[in-house]
Amino acid sequence: MGHGHHHHDHDHSSGAAADVPPALDLSVPDGELSPSDVSRRGFLRSAGLLGAGAAASVLATPSAAAAAGLPHSHGPAGGGTAKGGFRWLAGDHHIHTQHSSDGQYRVIDQAGHGRAFGLDWVVITDHGSNAHAKIGVDKVNPDILATREELPDLLTFQGLEWNIPAAEHATVFVHPGRNEVAVLKQFEQTFDGSQLPATNTEAQNEAMAIAGIKFLGEQVKRRKVDGALFLANHPARRGIDSPHEIRNWRDADPTVAIGMEGAPGHQAAGIPAPNGRGGARGLYDNNPSAASYSGYPLETYRTWGGFDWMTATVGGLWDSLLSEGRAWWVTVNSDSHVNYLDQSERGPGSDFEANGRYNDPVYTGKVNTTAGDFWPGFYGRTNVGAASFSYKSVMDGLRAGRVWVDHGRLIKTLDARVRVAGDRRAATGTPLGGVLHVKRGTATELTLEIDLQNVPNWAQFVPVLSRVDVIVGSVTGPVSARDTFTAPNTKVVKSYEVSPGARKLSVTYQLGRLDKPFYLRLRGTDGKRTQPGLMGAAVDPAGPKLDVIGDADPWSDLWFYTNPIWVLPK
Amino acid sequence: MIHPSAAAASQAAAASGPAGPSGPALTPAPASSTRDPAVSVPAALASSAPAPVIAVAPALDVAGLAGLPVHGVSLEHPDTVAAEHWLASLSPAPALACTHLVRSPRPHVALSLVFADTAPELGAESPDAAAEHVARRSGRAVLYPGVDLLVGTLRVADVLALSAIEKVEVLGGGEADPQALLDTGDFVRPQWRAGRLTLTTAPAAGDRLVPFETRNPTPCCAAH
Repeated sequence: MGHGHHHHDHDHSSGAAADVPPALDLSVPDGELSPSDVSRRGFLRSAGLLGAGAAASVLATPSAAAAAGLPHSHGPAGGGTAKGGFRWLAGDHHIHTQHSSDGQYRVIDQAGHGRAFGLDWVVITDHGSNAHAKIGVDKVNPDILATREELPDLLTFQGLEWNIPAAEHATVFVHPGRNEVAVLKQFEQTFDGSQLPATNTEAQNEAMAIAGIKFLGEQVKRRKVDGALFLANHPARRGIDSPHEIRNWRDADPTVAIGMEGAPGHQAAGIPAPNGRGGARGLYDNNPSAASYSGYPLETYRTWGGFDWMTATVGGLWDSLLSEGRAWWVTVNSDSHVNYLDQSERGPGSDFEANGRYNDPVYTGKVNTTAGDFWPGFYGRTNVGAASFSYKSVMDGLRAGRVWVDHGRLIKTLDARVRVAGDRRAATGTPLGGVLHVKRGTATELTLEIDLQNVPNWAQFVPVLSRVDVIVGSVTGPVSARDTFTAPNTKVVKSYEVSPGARKLSVTYQLGRLDKPFYLRLRGTDGKRTQPGLMGAAVDPAGPKLDVIGDADPWSDLWFYTNPIWVLPK
Repeated sequence: MIHPSAAAASQAAAASGPAGPSGPALTPAPASSTRDPAVSVPAALASSAPAPVIAVAPALDVAGLAGLPVHGVSLEHPDTVAAEHWLASLSPAPALACTHLVRSPRPHVALSLVFADTAPELGAESPDAAAEHVARRSGRAVLYPGVDLLVGTLRVADVLALSAIEKVEVLGGGEADPQALLDTGDFVRPQWRAGRLTLTTAPAAGDRLVPFETRNPTPCCAAH
């Protein structure tokens, strides 16, 4: 879009379906709205809920980057300045406390460690359950408020881990505010899988999941909360998140349902015995059940280089969404319940069902070598390009997909942008999650700058990046079969070996003159464990390797992944 | 129940290409020297695991069950553990028994069963489970010829020789090396895939393979 104005009142779908109120109906110009609707539209616009990223597909919008509500973020000039003008905030949206039946820590235990290990934001996500819906969801809030007070340098969100009806778990969280508990509580009591009749059919439960996501969007539109997000957790672990369910969630409300865990937590679970649990990395050791989607191969159920099969497979499920133009982002989290090598245990004399929480943990003097989790920030991080250090900016950055993830601090910083070829102005370039619209025939290029790691990680070594892969796929539009989970046109198109001893990786990759719409994403590795990808060596010659059960040292197999950037013809 | 002769005929009629390696369902396969237990028994004990008692149990090929009816049963078992528990209560025990996962209207596990003799009373029929079994499209075998011999650690070649398992694969890695060691965990559940009873394995600590399915996978974490 060539104009320099940042109002997003183009005549395109916001993703909102029929019965849109005037403030949401972008075909109604601001001038024809009542004063209250103008105010409301302004609020929604600033919340990133109008226009671009608000649609399920980037094909319907001029710029997903505009979802951030940033000024001057349109088109080729999108993205802002210095490292995109963004402050990259590391976080974790999947953390349990003593308010989970399988957890044990206080909020401040988790948040304090997360902050100490370098996180800027965390989401407390205790399991939806009877005890949580009735008691825990209330009791955790004062602890979260106290943590916000105690750790002002950390953004501590309240959320929950939703038992998605008919599917896996998901992080659901809201912007802090006076209604944060009320909204989460009503949501959990109405839509959590634990609160639904066991006699429900699969179809009824799938419908409840969609209704739950729509409910969250409604709470934002009614200004109960300033934002609500949904991310599917450990999506391939048990094969029960079918491709059509994932598509349905996104379509239900794209301002809420924004993505999934690219890698699960529990990354310590594969550390060999006797020093570790000797289990499966990510605790991904399940097999198909009756609730599983029958089309998934057995490869679905394991991790590959620590990542979930949906994300790790080049040309797999994630790429099938991206090649539709369906914006869907990946994250990395700890899923911390009980942490490897910790020396505490659940508080004695607890009555979880009655109290909605366990008593505070107690020091044992023993080292727990069988726990499978890392403290938040210790191993994985989700890096969000935020406009500022604020709750809203983190949510906006997540919603915009301005996110890259890594394990073990594989790299220090990353700035990837797609540009019109030759345009090297610092303030230009479309960042991660963005959409660059250019005329057909326009040459574009990827510019990538990675500051290689020069600081030890929490295993006390400086990780060495070995290789970066550029992955490109055609955008072929919506699929007719909603259970599609392959993208035959996506493959690794270029790999860069990193010189030993280099401090910085700075490359430009020519994307050619635009003919057909496409997207690209990036991946990097320490190069210690690779194998040809599941779609063949021609698609991914050196992809992540299947993690070995009982012998998966997470520190010796590190990867980073970025979210995609699209290039579409005007 | 489905009589395999009719089902095999209809499957053959529906097939548009040449039959796969195993041919139409339940056609007796030619004897293969590599599947002769007498040949491979001495090599079977590739580890220090306790020696399985082999002499009393000649390995049957599933084709040996050709012509016997396949019974589909659906008792709404919630999971394979419950289905296997029920299976263990059957008398006489089936010679071949598979579980089948059904997602709708509510997720449950059905079974398909082949009895060497007369079948006992089984309950509600599942024509779908029987059809999948007959076509060898899907199904997870719990009881099959030779399953009792798959204990301890065995070479892949021995798994093929001792049991009805026709193919051993490594997850994401093609066919398993016949000399590779499989730590069976005394729990081996191959699946019908493209007409062949296939065991998928995965690498494990100690340079071993393990069956893809473990007896006690990590339960879904929350208490709900």
